[in-house]
Amino acid sequence: MSERGNIDQGQQEKEEPFYAGQTRVLEMVAANAPLPEILTNLVLLMEAQAEGMLCSILVLTADGMRVRHGAAPSLPKAYVKAVNGAPIGPRNGSCGTAMYLKRPVVVTDVMTDPLWADYRDLAEICGLRACWSTPIFSHQGDVIGSFAMYRQEQRGPNAEEAHLTQIATHIAGIAIERQRVQETLRERDARINLAAESADLAFWVIYPEQNTAWMSDKGRKIYGFDSKLPLTRDLICSRVHPDERAAVHAAFDRACASHGIFESEHRLVLPYGKTRWVIVRGRCLEDEHGSLLELIGVTIDVSAQKQSDLQLQIQREELAHLNRVALMGEMTASVAHELNQPLTAIANNAAAARRFLERGNIDPALLQQLLQDMVADSQRAGEVIRGIRALVRKDKSVVRSVLNLNAVIADTLRLVSSDVLLRESVVTTEMDHNLPQVEAAPVQIQQVLLNLIMNALDAVEALPPAERRIIVTTRSLSGDSAEVAVRDFGAGLPKDRPQKVFDHFFSTKQTGMGMGLTIVRSIIEMHGGTISAENAPDRGARFFFRLPAARGDSKSQAA
Amino acid sequence: MGDRAICMTSSEKSDTEIVCLVDDDLSILKSIERLLASDGFSVRAFNKPKEFLAYVQAHAVSLVVLDIWMEEMSGLEVQAQLSALSPQTRVIIITGREDQTAKLAALQSGVIAFFTKPFDDDQFLNAVRGALAMHPY
Repeated sequence: MSERGNIDQGQQEKEEPFYAGQTRVLEMVAANAPLPEILTNLVLLMEAQAEGMLCSILVLTADGMRVRHGAAPSLPKAYVKAVNGAPIGPRNGSCGTAMYLKRPVVVTDVMTDPLWADYRDLAEICGLRACWSTPIFSHQGDVIGSFAMYRQEQRGPNAEEAHLTQIATHIAGIAIERQRVQETLRERDARINLAAESADLAFWVIYPEQNTAWMSDKGRKIYGFDSKLPLTRDLICSRVHPDERAAVHAAFDRACASHGIFESEHRLVLPYGKTRWVIVRGRCLEDEHGSLLELIGVTIDVSAQKQSDLQLQIQREELAHLNRVALMGEMTASVAHELNQPLTAIANNAAAARRFLERGNIDPALLQQLLQDMVADSQRAGEVIRGIRALVRKDKSVVRSVLNLNAVIADTLRLVSSDVLLRESVVTTEMDHNLPQVEAAPVQIQQVLLNLIMNALDAVEALPPAERRIIVTTRSLSGDSAEVAVRDFGAGLPKDRPQKVFDHFFSTKQTGMGMGLTIVRSIIEMHGGTISAENAPDRGARFFFRLPAARGDSKSQAA
Repeated sequence: MGDRAICMTSSEKSDTEIVCLVDDDLSILKSIERLLASDGFSVRAFNKPKEFLAYVQAHAVSLVVLDIWMEEMSGLEVQAQLSALSPQTRVIIITGREDQTAKLAALQSGVIAFFTKPFDDDQFLNAVRGALAMHPY
């Protein structure tokens, strides 16, 4: 072995642990070790490479204004403490100035260099004489910290020290940047989680290829999954209400096939029987070759909203029911009369039969006819009762079917015919026989008509009998909706704002609850229609409502 | 027993006498017609008041049974016209509605009986018999 070989060997012996040390620090970075620990190890590694050298790393705050202690295991605590939080600037020691100027600052003698004016005393106490600082840059070229070497003698760095600095700033840059990215991600995660928590929002990802899925913590809570349970699409779908599961699966399949979006509103049934209403929205993500990568989405728990919607609907139905019962009360004359007529006929027929039998001269054909009529009249009475029951019953009042409004009007007028008669009023109709059919709940439409007709009867009550007129008109509007108008010849509506009559508790009647027209409007609006009121040009009020034509019954196509 | 005797006599006597009946409800009309027939009366039934008024101008009518609430015109209007057209015709009113004012008005204007539907067949037929047994004005 030559002299030269010995030197190389010595160099090698020295460099191997240095490389191993660098590797160790980089491994710590990869393993997400805490930043102070990584930086301390890096500083110790550097200090081990040169006799009498002290090193420190400072980190620039996110706002780029101040320095934060990074690592300085060998520097006096008092010095470290004094530097922590100091501002950067053109005359702020070696480090503060280097970060400010974005270039290395070499101070060979802190006792004389103007950059150290503010820190000179401190340096003297700590026995520091030279300080060479180099900024640490991010990938984007932003300053994120500084690496400094201190000596207790007055001098500048040699080539080896410059080389070490290069390595140190490079590794520290990786460590600090990575930590920054993670901090940003953590912050973003926290923000998203906060938003998700407060909005009852779940995030999920489905990987169709791997048949696995991921779901946020909140999502697992919404779906009732244990935090450790491995998820799959099938498992997630197993929570969907059985009635809706097939549709949800189909929607997923469609989204996956078209690489499109997924939207669904459905119920979830949790293991302990609780039901939730959710809205789910998702979309497909593709890789750079256009193959389906994953389906990402959100699930919003709308149970509370659904619950209150349901509550509102129940209350609305209760109110509508009360209104129908009240209408029945107003229509006592009709109800009594409609029942009385067939009952009277039955009683008369029965009495006649008895008398014929007593006289012993009854014609069997006549008796048969008589009995037949009794049956027919019983059925007529039954129809009346059925009609009343349909109107006042609570259930099925919202069940819709395709209706001809002209027929509903005719039925309703039959129902109130006795009241019209007893109030010595006349109701005439002007029907459009080409009226499109509508899809509506017959009971509710009858309720609307009854309210409008009973109101009209009240409105004409004060007039002399000959003038107590009401006109019910129907007409088609440009083929795609049907209009019904009820017009009276009474005193009319409030002049300032006729629509006021639809407000809650607005009533001109002594006995009115003031809810009738409010309910009427809500029924019409629930059917996708509109209702309005106006004063007729000559006199009286005109109420008219419009309902959209049932699908497939638009006359406009024919026109 | 006395009642019964009167009954028999008047019904036998009334076999040839015609009772007119006006009601716009067909099943009521038919049932009252039968009730009267079961007691031996001949009946001419009208479901339009105006047709009755036309009939009464050409025929002598002793008794009419009138409904009040009819679409074409009310029984009380028919009665008012009748008293001018045929003052000797007696009137029995039947109504579907309990109405004291109408009842009072009717009785004051010479109606001989007022029944609210449904009514007792004996009382009704007694009234009919009684009306026919009365001497003409």
